[in-house]
Amino acid sequence: MTFTVARLELKRWFASALGWGLMAASAVLLAWWFLAFVDAFVEAAPELVGRANAPGVTDLVVAPFFASVASALLVLAPLVGMRSFASERSAQRLPWLLASRARAQHLVFGKWLAVWAVLGAILLLALAMTLSLYSGTTLDLGKLLVGFGGLLLLAGALAALAVLASAQTDHAPTAAAVALGAGVLLWLADAGARARGELDGLINYLALPTHLQPFLRGVFDSTAMAYFVLLTLALLALAVLRVARLRRAAR
Amino acid sequence: MTDRPARVNLNPPPADPPLLRFDAVSVRRAGRLVLDAVDLQLGAAQTIAVLGLNGAGKSTLLALAAGARAPDLGEVRVAGQRAGSAAAAAIGWLPDPVPLYPELSVREQIGAAAALQGLAGAARQRAVARAIERLDLGALSKRLCGQLSRGMRQRVGVAQAICHDPKLLLLDEPCAGLDPLQQQHLLQLLHAMKSEMGIVHVTHLFADIDRHVDRVLILNRGRIALDAPRAELGDISGISAAFMRHGLALEPEAAA
Repeated sequence: MTFTVARLELKRWFASALGWGLMAASAVLLAWWFLAFVDAFVEAAPELVGRANAPGVTDLVVAPFFASVASALLVLAPLVGMRSFASERSAQRLPWLLASRARAQHLVFGKWLAVWAVLGAILLLALAMTLSLYSGTTLDLGKLLVGFGGLLLLAGALAALAVLASAQTDHAPTAAAVALGAGVLLWLADAGARARGELDGLINYLALPTHLQPFLRGVFDSTAMAYFVLLTLALLALAVLRVARLRRAAR
Repeated sequence: MTDRPARVNLNPPPADPPLLRFDAVSVRRAGRLVLDAVDLQLGAAQTIAVLGLNGAGKSTLLALAAGARAPDLGEVRVAGQRAGSAAAAAIGWLPDPVPLYPELSVREQIGAAAALQGLAGAARQRAVARAIERLDLGALSKRLCGQLSRGMRQRVGVAQAICHDPKLLLLDEPCAGLDPLQQQHLLQLLHAMKSEMGIVHVTHLFADIDRHVDRVLILNRGRIALDAPRAELGDISGISAAFMRHGLALEPEAAA
C-alpha cells in the first residue's frame, strides 16, 4: 500500500506544471553552479600542475558542487514536500484517504517515498553532470559515490521534515516555510558553537553538516548514516502520529 | 446396539452480523454534540435514506461508517468488524465534496481509488473499466478531473466508490449537481445495485428517495428523530410532512 500511495503521489507530481517547472529550474541552477566550479578549476589547473599531492577534479569540482547541491536541498525539499498532506487537507481528500485500506503509516511513508524519489531524480541530474567530467579527466568514483550517498541520506531526512510540516497545516506555502525554517535551524544549529571553536559538543552533533561532511570528503561514516536514518525515522513517526490524530478530528 | 436419539443442535449457527451497526455512537466537535447516542442497524441489500438539515450530523454519520473518523463514544461496526482500515474493503464512500485529484484523468482517478482499495494488475483494470461503463463515463475517461463539471465529478465519485464492489455504499448527496437525466440514471443504477450491497444515501432532495430506498431516517441535531420504512411514508408529500414534523422540530422526538 505504501508503494501505491507513492505511485499516486509521483503521478500527481509529474502531471503538474509545478513539478516539471521545479525540476527544470533545479536543472538550470545545478548546471550553472556546476559550470562555475568547472570554470574555477580550469582557471586554477595551471597552478596545480606539478604540485605534489595536488587536489584533483573530484576534490575541487565534485565536492564543493555536492556541498552546494546540499544547500539547494534545504529549499527544494520543502517545495517538493509541501503539498503532501496540506493539499489533501485543503481539498478535503484526507478523510477519504484515511477511509481506504491505506493506514496512516502507509500514507506517510508513501508520500515521503515520493518526495524522496523526486529529490533523488534531481540528485541524479547532479550526478550525471559530475560523471560528464569523465569524458575529459579522471574521477575518484569511490569519493563521488559516497558523496552522492550522503546527499541521498540528507534528502531523505529533509523530505521527512517536509512531510511532517505538511501534515501540520492545510496551507502548502506555510508547510514549506515551516520545513525551510526547521531545515535551516538544523543546518545552522552549531554555527554559534563553531564560531567559538567548539567542534564536538552535543550541538555540533545535532547539526546536519556535521554528518554530511564525511560523505562529501569521500569517507563512508556509518555513525553519520545512522544519524540520518534515525532522524528520518523519528520525523516520519511524528508524521504518522499526526495523521492518525487527524483521523479523529475529521468531519 | 441401542438406538440413540437424534442429536439436536441446541446452538443454532449465529446469524450474520448486520452490515452496518452503530451502538450508542456519540461525536462531539467544538463542544457541540454532532451525534448523540445514535443506534442504527443496516442489513445486507438494504437501502436507507438519511435526511436532515445542515449540521444535523448526516455527513459525520457517513464518515464514521467509512472509518474516516472515530466516535468519541460508542462503537461502529461494518460487517462485524470495527470500522476502519480492516473494514475498508467492504466500504465504498462518496463524500461531499467529491475527493478528486485535478491533475489526474478520470480513468487514472478511478484506478487510484481501486488501488487504494487493494486492487492490482488486471483485476484493477477490469474494475476500472466496469465502473466507467456503469457510470457511462467512457467519453470522459481521458478528461482531467480538474476540468469536470459538478455533475461529472459526482459521477466519477460514485464510480470510484463502487469500483471495488463494496458491500456497503455510503453516498453523500450523490445527485447534487446532476441534470435530471443523469439523476434518473444514477437512481436506476442504485436500484440495480441494491441487491448487491447495503446503501446509505444521504440527501436533501426528497425526490432522491426513490424506489431503491427501504427505510427513511431523519436526523435532527445529532439524534435520530425518525426511522421508518419507506412504504409507511407514502409519496414525496408524505416524506415532506414527516421531515417537517421530525426534521425541523426544536426538540427531536424519539425514533419511531
